[in-house]
Amino acid sequence: MTATWKLEFPYRRSVGPVIGAFLAGLRDRTVLGAPTESGRVLVPPLEYDPDTGDAVGDLREVGQAGVVEGFTWIPQPHSNAPLDRPFAYALVRLDGADTAMLHALDAGSPDAVRPGVRVRIRWRAETTGHITDIECFEPENA
Amino acid sequence: MSEAVQFMSQMVSVEYPSPQPTLVNRRFAEQLEAGRIIGHKCPQCGLVYVPPRGMCPVCVVSTTDDHEVEVADRGTVTTFSVITPIQYPGQEEQDDYVLATILLDGADMTVGQQRLDGIPIDDVHSGMRVEAAWAPESERKAAGGPGPAGGLGGAIQGWRPTGEPDTPLDQYEHHIL
Repeated sequence: MTATWKLEFPYRRSVGPVIGAFLAGLRDRTVLGAPTESGRVLVPPLEYDPDTGDAVGDLREVGQAGVVEGFTWIPQPHSNAPLDRPFAYALVRLDGADTAMLHALDAGSPDAVRPGVRVRIRWRAETTGHITDIECFEPENA
Repeated sequence: MSEAVQFMSQMVSVEYPSPQPTLVNRRFAEQLEAGRIIGHKCPQCGLVYVPPRGMCPVCVVSTTDDHEVEVADRGTVTTFSVITPIQYPGQEEQDDYVLATILLDGADMTVGQQRLDGIPIDDVHSGMRVEAAWAPESERKAAGGPGPAGGLGGAIQGWRPTGEPDTPLDQYEHHIL
C-alpha cells in the first residue's frame, strides 16, 4: 500500500535582456553568443564577462554544430529527462563559440560519444523561446 | 531579430512513492479516527512520544502497544508562526493564519504545524491553552504514516483557545519544538 506523491513548483522566471534575446534567437532557430572585450564569444551568453565583469557586446549568431567537450551517459532516463531513451548530457562548444553549453545528446550508444566528436542541433518542430527549442544535439555523421 | 523573451516557465516536479505506514503509524491513525491521541511511553526514561515512533531514540529501546498511553486533546502553545499566504496557482488560503506548535498534556514531544482558530492573530501567544477541534467522526481520514495527510492532519481540523490561564514558561520551556 503506497501512494504516489507529486510535488510541483510552477516557476515563472524573468530572464533579463541577454538571455531573453538568446531565447528569442532559439525561437527563430538561431543561436546567439555574447562577445567579450577580449574577443571571446560566450554561448550561452552571459550579461557580463566573467573574467572582467564588463558588460558584453551585441549578441551575434554562432554555428549550429560543434564539438563535444565532455559528457555523462544517462543509461536510465527518469520521467522528466529531455529524452525517453538512453542519452548523454554533453558540453557542446558550437562553431564560433569559446564556451560550451550543456544539453542532451541523442547518441544512441555511449560508444558513439567522446570528446571531440562533432554534433549538430536538432530543432523542435515548434519553437517557443525556451531552451527546449533545441530538442537535443545529434552526431553530425548520423 | 524578433522581440526578446521576458519570462520563462519552469516546472520543478518530483514524483515519488510514499513510505508504507508502519503498524505503529496505523494504530495511531485508527485511534485518531476514534477520537483518541496516543503515544508511547519509554519504559526506560519515561518520555512520552506523540505520535508514537515505536522506539525511544534517547534510550535506543523499542516501544510497542504495551507502552501505549493516551494523552489529552488539549495542551499548550509553545511557539507559533503567522503565515501570510502568497497567491500562487493552487493556493487555497486567502488570509493570514496561525500554525502553532503544541505540547499536549501528558506528552513530552510537541506536535507542529497545527492550525489555530477562534482567536484574533494579535492575541496568540506562547503559553496559551488550546483544545482540539475534531473533525466529525465520519470525516476523520486515516492519518497513518508521514506525509501531507499524516500527523494529526486528517482527524483534527484545528485548535481553539480554552480560556484557561496560561501555562507558566518553566512548565514547557524544555519542550518548545
